[in-house]
Parts: sequence; structure tokens; C-alpha cells
Amino acid sequence: MDMNSDLTSHPIDRIDKLMQPIDNVFNLIAALAIFAMMLLGVSQIGLRTIFNAPIEGYIDLVELSMASMAFLGAAYCQRVGAHIRMEILIGKLHGRALWLAETFGTLVALFIIGVLFYYSWQHFDRAYELGDTTIDAEFVVWPSKLLVPIAFALWFLRLMLQLVGSIRLVITPGATPLGVVVMKDVAELAAQEIQETFGGEDPVHFPADERSRP
Amino acid sequence: MILGIGFDDPFLVGLIGLGAMLFMVTLGVRVVFAAAVVGLLGLVELNGWDAGAGIAGTVPHSKSSSYALSVLPMFILIGFLAFHAGMTQQLFDCARKWIGWVPGGLAVATIFATAGFAAVSGASTATAAVFARVAIPDMLKYGYDRRLAAGVVAAGGTLATLIPPSAILVIYAIIVEESVGKLLLAGFLPGVVSALIYGLIIIIWAKFNPSLAPAVGGFTWQQRFASLPGIMPIVLVVVIIMTAIYDGWATPTEAGALGAFIVLALAFKRKMHLKTFHEALMETAKLTVMIFSLIWGILIFVRFLGFSGLPEAFTQWILTINASPMVIMICILLGYAVLGMFMDAIGMLLLTLPVVYPAVIALGFDSIWFGIIVVKMAEVCLITPPIGLNCFVVNGVRPDIPLSDVFRGITLFFIADIITIGVLLAFPGIVTWLPGLL
Repeated sequence: MDMNSDLTSHPIDRIDKLMQPIDNVFNLIAALAIFAMMLLGVSQIGLRTIFNAPIEGYIDLVELSMASMAFLGAAYCQRVGAHIRMEILIGKLHGRALWLAETFGTLVALFIIGVLFYYSWQHFDRAYELGDTTIDAEFVVWPSKLLVPIAFALWFLRLMLQLVGSIRLVITPGATPLGVVVMKDVAELAAQEIQETFGGEDPVHFPADERSRP
Repeated sequence: MILGIGFDDPFLVGLIGLGAMLFMVTLGVRVVFAAAVVGLLGLVELNGWDAGAGIAGTVPHSKSSSYALSVLPMFILIGFLAFHAGMTQQLFDCARKWIGWVPGGLAVATIFATAGFAAVSGASTATAAVFARVAIPDMLKYGYDRRLAAGVVAAGGTLATLIPPSAILVIYAIIVEESVGKLLLAGFLPGVVSALIYGLIIIIWAKFNPSLAPAVGGFTWQQRFASLPGIMPIVLVVVIIMTAIYDGWATPTEAGALGAFIVLALAFKRKMHLKTFHEALMETAKLTVMIFSLIWGILIFVRFLGFSGLPEAFTQWILTINASPMVIMICILLGYAVLGMFMDAIGMLLLTLPVVYPAVIALGFDSIWFGIIVVKMAEVCLITPPIGLNCFVVNGVRPDIPLSDVFRGITLFFIADIITIGVLLAFPGIVTWLPGLL
């Protein structure tokens, strides 16, 4: 049993640690795209209202950049278990039954993401071959479409790892979970929401002007 | 036919597809996968592999790269930065100086402060978390019943989804192909009405239990006016977003971008750490990709449903029911109340709307009005057992207030919510008037 053996050297954990920085970077790129879109929107308002000179092709630019926000973080989101699901039933399961259900869900996911990887690649390939551009500003479309199969490929790899992790736990339900998402109950979910709201700040210590005054 | 199931009847394929999806979702398959896989297989069954899978393969990119959707990441970013921009204490402070003198004054002030904060945050749980920290200590200090103090914060949080900017209303607009601007405007008055009814019910309760919710008066007009400048940044963000949508001087995305920029500037002025900013950005990206995945997953399913003709058939069936549309509407809402106990609001909306929405429209209801009602329904589920995430959040911030007390404190606001929904059913004009001006 790998219960107490050195888990950090377990192959699943090693691959997980190898993939995490990649997931993170992809999600960070998505985050920076959102930040850039904010700056672009503010610039657009400024240039249009003050100088009467709106950014040419602004809408096309936003639409093409949407793919980065919509897809690049998918694997990261998968890793932290943030894609929505209904946990009323699966939350009641334990041990082997739980990991069987997780294995089923992951197989469904692998199938659909695999097929969509192939067909979204085709979608990109057509745009690349034909040299498609947007209608207004005539920006090339393929780089945006290429982001979809790239993100799906990374998502697929993350799902593969979760599949292996789930199957391992079907075989040895008592082992320490590796490479899978461990479900949170409502209280843990609430704790996570609180953490996300307050960020890195110490939840007990109030910043100076937030302290309740007498 | 390709799958060899051999059903020639698209309707039957649609029914099997719907059943398969509900089965998978119940089993805990993530909604995006369940919806997309059924959509894909259904399209393949009705159109053949290459045509069917080809359609499915184009949906993610083509549906995601729409300008209307670009407002979502902006609103989400505003939400994650809202707390760091401060102003929460100022909001509460201002509210208590102006309305602390009414019975249950601090609780009423909390409601109005959460409504104000809702104008820069679209997230219920975040709003509840913030005010659990800001308002509960003050209420307890003045001898407020701790159940009331906890309940008011959990309930006040739900105002965030109606008052713009609200991500969930944008998602509704996208799915039913309605104007994003109209939905956002439409949420404003019902949000205010909800807050007023919350306030009213607190005042009535406090009249009967004055010792558990004392009035806090004695502020001079000078003090009151002095508290106003502190909340100006929030007023500014509200004015920007509302006037942009109403008057059209900026698109919702641009207004959202400007709002996010102002909130970010305020956060940096309050010396937000770069690490915190990085975390907020990562969370924004995570929530964005989660919502977009759901949207394209459901839209693949919707393409399939369109081919199957199931929504039309369901609509026809609903129309044959020999009951008044209002009775059917109340049944639909009760269905949502049950579903909302087990599901997140966004998932619930996306799963049900493709089938339910056409029927509701055929019954003669207004599409924008229905959006607001359904979202309000979903919010009620955030404060009711068995899940009631907002209550858990309040308990998480204030572990000294037991969960059972938070849930008991919510009763009053649950009644208020039922009244609000009744008011919106009886006076749909509260919802439709503002967007009707567009």
C-alpha cells in the first residue's frame, strides 16, 4: 500500500506537479487577457469621448480575444474542481462507489473533450487554409480558433490524469487521493468562498479603516 | 441513425437525450460534459457523424467569441476586486447614520449597505461574507439578537444578483437571446423592492421585539452629510453602469471595464498587495472559464434540441393544460424552488431554460420578467436549507454564531422573499418598466 510510503515520489503526483505550472500559466494568460480587455475598454471610452477617435476594429479585437478567456483556463478549472456539477448524490458516496462514479464522469469528459479537440482543430484548420478574416477590421481569425484545440488538449491531459487517479482509488479506495479532486462539503465550500472574497488578507485582522468604530 | 439506435423520430431522440443528460447530471457528471456529450451524440444521430460532430466542433469558439458575452469577465473582475476597494465600512456607516433611528435600525442599515455593495459586486456569497465582518460586530454591540444579525447579512447578500452588475442576468440574456442591457436594467428595481421589503419586515418585527433590535439614533444632520463622500465611488460605479446601458454612451462591456478600472484604482489606493491582485485575477479567470464552458456546453445541447423539436412539443403540451397561465407559472416556480435546493443557480438556469423558456413565452409571459423572477427564485435557495450557501458563509466568518441560529434568523427574510415574488407576479411592471424605456 502506498498509504504511508513516500507519496511525493508517486508517479501520479509527479505528473500532477509537472502539469500544475502549465495549467497555472494558461489560466494566468486568460487572466491577463481579461485585464487587457479592461484597459482596452477604458481606452476605447477615453479615445472616443475625448478625442472622438475610437479604436479601429475594437469589437473584432474583443471578439477574437474572447477565446483566450473562454478556454485557456479550462484545465486549471478542472484541476481545482470548479466546473459546476450536482453533488447531491455523488456527495453521499464513499470509497469505491464514489470513485467509480468519478471514473464514469471522467470517461464522459474525456470522450467529449477528445471529439471536440479534433473538430475544433478542423474548425481552426479551415480558417487557416482559407485565410479567414473578421468582416469589419479584417483581422485573421485562425490564431483565435487555434486556442480552442490547444486548451482542449491540455484539458484532455488533465482529465487523463484524473482518470488514472480515480481508477487507482477504485482499486485501492483507502489510498491517499492523488491527481483527483476531493469533494468539498458545504462548509468547506463556504470557507473557500470566504477565502476568495478576502484574498490573502487575514480574515481576523481588519485593515485599519475597516475596523468597527466605537 | 449512425449510432445505430435507429430511431427515426427526432422527438424520441430528443426525449432520450434529455433523459440521458438528467441521468448523468444526477450522477454527478459535470454539467458542461453531460450537456455537450448528449448534444454531440444527438446531433450525430440526427445528422450523421461528420455533419453532427462538425456542428458541435464549431459551437465552442463561435458562441464564445460574441461581443455580448465580453461583459461577463468585466463584471466578474469587479466582483472579485469589490472587497479590496474598501467602502464597505463607509457604506454601513452612512446607512446607519441615515436610517439607524428606525426600529431595527442597524439591521435595516445592513440591508441598504448590502444593496449598495451589490452595485459593485454580483456575487451573493461575497456580499454575505463581507458584511458578516462589517455589520455583525456592530449589531451585536448594540444588543441585537444574533439570529437576526446573522440572518440579515445572509439575506442581504442575495441582493447582489439582481442589482447590476449581475453575471447571472447576463447568462440568462445570452441563453434566451435577449438584450443584455435590458436584463441588467430590469434587475435594478426588483433589487430595490427586495431591499425595501426586507427593510419593512425588519421594522415590523422590531416593533414587536424592540429589545432585540433597538433603534440607534442621535446622529446630527452634519454627521449624516459628512458620511456621504465615503460612498461616492460606489455611486460613481452605479451611475456609470446604469447610464451607459440606459443612454448608450458606452456598451455594457465598456462600462464594465470602466467600473472595474475604478474599483481596481481604489483597491490599489488602499494598498492592495500585488499577490492579492494576482489571486483576484486568477479567480476571475477561473470563474470566467467555468461560465463560458457551461454556456458552450449547453449551447451544443440546445442545437441538438432544436433539431429534435422537443422544446416545441413541450410548449404544445403546456398549452394544452387546462389551467390559467399564472397557475402554470406558479407550478414552474415551485419546480425551480425544489431544483434550487440541489443545484447552483447558474447550472439550474442553463439546464432548464432550453426547454422551459419557449413554453413560458408561449404562455404569454414577458421574457425579461421571467428572467428576473427565476433569478430571484434561485437566490431564495441560497438562504434556505438544505444547502443555503450564504448561511454557511456567514457561519464561516462568524463561527461563534451556530449554523442553526443563522438558519433560524433567515426565516423572516424567507417570508420577505415570498412576498417579493408575489409582488413581482402581481405587478410585472416593476420589472418591465425600466427596460421598456430603452
